[in-house]
Amino acid sequence: MFVLVLALAVGVLAGLLLRIGIPVPLLTYLGVAVLAALDSCLGGVRAALERTFSDRVFVFGFITNTLMAAFIVFVGERIGVRELYLAAVVAFGVRLFNNLGIVRRLMFERREWE
Amino acid sequence: MEPIKPVKYRISLVVVFAVLGLMVAVAFNTTTLASADQSGRTGDLAAVVSDMEAQREGLTTKVTELRAELETLERTAAEEAGQRESFNADVEGTREAAGLTDVTGPGVIVTLSDAKIVPPGEDANRYIIHDFDITAIVNALVAGGAEAVDVNGQRIVATTAIRCAGTTVLVNQTRLGAPYVVTAIGDANRLTTALESDLVASELFGAYRVQYGLEVRLDKRSGLTVPAFAGVLLPRYATPVVGE
Repeated sequence: MFVLVLALAVGVLAGLLLRIGIPVPLLTYLGVAVLAALDSCLGGVRAALERTFSDRVFVFGFITNTLMAAFIVFVGERIGVRELYLAAVVAFGVRLFNNLGIVRRLMFERREWE
Repeated sequence: MEPIKPVKYRISLVVVFAVLGLMVAVAFNTTTLASADQSGRTGDLAAVVSDMEAQREGLTTKVTELRAELETLERTAAEEAGQRESFNADVEGTREAAGLTDVTGPGVIVTLSDAKIVPPGEDANRYIIHDFDITAIVNALVAGGAEAVDVNGQRIVATTAIRCAGTTVLVNQTRLGAPYVVTAIGDANRLTTALESDLVASELFGAYRVQYGLEVRLDKRSGLTVPAFAGVLLPRYATPVVGE
């Protein structure tokens, strides 16, 4: 778990130090993509705890989730329903908390067994 | 009992977490940069303008004070030289003619204001008072023999410019907003005739007022006061021709 937190911190630091920014109109895309990525990551942790982790599934899941989220935002803007991005936000948000709950439970259970 | 089995963190998991961190940081950068950008622009400019205006306010007061001081000094100097009467009369006359004193007398007040309603789809520019409208009125009044003219308290003097700056009008480098009140001291009847015979001014009172709903009003009054010019009149490049 520590390694993952470290990796996250390294990523954040790298981003902050490089001071990369994107054009403001694209911010919604990135925001939704971040949510999707977060969901994938928690899903990955969950799978690892459940001993069902697979590299391929995880990496593909991460990429498709992120791209799909951005795509939904894009479609929403094209067809004039900007609020469509909320669909992605809600879907990933629900899944995120769901995964978080399972990860938490699995970690506690492991503690009790061991 | 089996020893604690560490969950195997695949390299993919680690890399993806790093990527996630990077994305979060980029999003953070974007929002902070954008907000810093915006507050930087409008906030700074507005602050600079109000700052400068406050500064000018102070300087204007100082000019008035210094002018009063100068007057006392001139008086003393003239007294000392024993030619008080003629000198003072001379200075007073020049001062008055240059617009450096408050003056009072009969005359007219012209009030100009933007139209209250701009019909949708119409060119809003036709429904507001422009700098050239004010210029036309002032011009006509001076042509009609006005001896002192001010626009919203800004005395029209030899160096006065009337021009527009965005949505406001600048007179003597001072921002003025509607309604514009032009006060002119002179023969009220002559001034009125001058306004009527001026092409642009008469249009303002006639067609424009009716067609676009501009508020243009003329009042003849007595006991009007036109304030002194508060700016500085010192020429830097112009020098008097000697031996005229």
